[in-house]
Amino acid sequence: MSDLAIELDGVGKTYPYFTLENIHLEVPRGQIMGLIGPNGAGKSTTIRILLGLVHQDRGDVRVLGHRMPAEQVAAKWDIGFASEDMRLYESMTIEWHMGFIRSIYPKWDAPYAQTLLKRFGLRAEQKIKGLSHGQRVKATLLLVLARRPKLLVLDEPTTGLDPVARHEVLKELTAVMTDEGRSVLFSSHNTQDVEQISDRITFIDRGRIIDSMDKEAYLDRWRRLRLEVPLGISLPALPGIIGIRQAGRLAVATANAFAPDMANAYESSGARVHSIETMTLEEIFVANVERSREEEVEA
Amino acid sequence: MSSSVIWALVLKDWRLHRTLIALSIACGAIALAIFQVKSEIAFLLGAVWFFIALIVLGSVLPGSNVINERKKQNLAFLMSLPVSATQYAMAKLVSTLGLFLIPWTTLVIAASTLILSRPGTPNGIIPVMLILFGLPLVGFCIIAGAALIGETEGWNMAATLVCNSWYGIGWYLIIRNPAINGNLKSPVPVWNSPVLTILGGEIAAIVLMLGITIYVQSRKRDFV
Repeated sequence: MSDLAIELDGVGKTYPYFTLENIHLEVPRGQIMGLIGPNGAGKSTTIRILLGLVHQDRGDVRVLGHRMPAEQVAAKWDIGFASEDMRLYESMTIEWHMGFIRSIYPKWDAPYAQTLLKRFGLRAEQKIKGLSHGQRVKATLLLVLARRPKLLVLDEPTTGLDPVARHEVLKELTAVMTDEGRSVLFSSHNTQDVEQISDRITFIDRGRIIDSMDKEAYLDRWRRLRLEVPLGISLPALPGIIGIRQAGRLAVATANAFAPDMANAYESSGARVHSIETMTLEEIFVANVERSREEEVEA
Repeated sequence: MSSSVIWALVLKDWRLHRTLIALSIACGAIALAIFQVKSEIAFLLGAVWFFIALIVLGSVLPGSNVINERKKQNLAFLMSLPVSATQYAMAKLVSTLGLFLIPWTTLVIAASTLILSRPGTPNGIIPVMLILFGLPLVGFCIIAGAALIGETEGWNMAATLVCNSWYGIGWYLIIRNPAINGNLKSPVPVWNSPVLTILGGEIAAIVLMLGITIYVQSRKRDFV
């Protein structure tokens, strides 16, 4: 059996106004992958392809060892999928939905479903149309989690939630993810959510994966260097520096492969290093997207 | 395993639409009760209401059972289940057809029994009754097929409009056909060529529409 829960190799899909290009993505079993991208980047298309809901034009997709979309039925027994645009039946109760899912999944964990009901503050007899957006998301997650899936695919599950509901949902997801056998693909444009729960991060923009790496490595390798550059001094081009923005004597250099000797190199050139700052995942994401778009324009 | 999921999807549709089905049977039953009153106006009123009940059900059901699932964004929830797009479409076809056939069969049997049990009703009316009862079924299959294939309200509305416009013309042409109305008072059913051609045409239209629907669904590449 492959060690990969998700394997996308050279996957592409062409629409009239959008193309998903040559996607390579690997999620090892037991890992939590955060898929970050702006709106319209291709996150949902990628997820729909790996679930077999949209057929790729090019490339190979394997999920839990099953070829997609051909073996989607076998794969989906072990996949729990929830997306921001997924809606339950408004006129029916949570209990009705639980009964419906229970009638399909032999592995349905009824005691765990009851625990989740209490933890999420839901009542089984509530109709979906009477629930707030946050409660609807929680009800959907309950239906997904109580199936005990081996792979969780969550497409922007926290979008539109208030901070308290977001915290509750993320707390439950974090608890679920302590099961080391479970793999998770979590897509969002909210970097804070992804940073909180992911082991690995993949950035996607305009239908292309622009970077994919271990989260700690990202946070470790990216730095911002604030410099003072006297007149007549030009900063050297250093490997690992992906951009320099200068206004008068002040400059900010962004490193995606930071090494301590970078500061020495700038000092040797005559510049003064004021500070070396760590970057948040959001800053890394924005810098990555900007660099990718600049490269695209230059190309 | 997959057949159990398909069955679960069909049962789910049945539970969601049982009120609509009960209402349509109730409307049809009321129409038949009016039909029993011994007056020409009651006969006509009952007959018209009876067909309206079937036609309205045939127009509303595909929209409610097929289009709404997409419109109200329930489809992603369903497609996350262990079912392929073709299996989902098959489940939808079976449930939609079943949901219509239950009231249609019930009402057609009830109406036939009531009409034929009336004293002095000639058996020559049976072929015409079958043809007339078949038209709402044909129309429903066309509307349901258009809803499943087109997946939009526009397709559904267009098919509904076309079918509902043709019912009146269809009935008029059938009743005015001398080869058909000439045998209405016959003591035995007359299965002549025009009758068999029309019945055959209705059956062919149903089979063709279902076949096209299954074929198109099985070739779809993008589902959600």
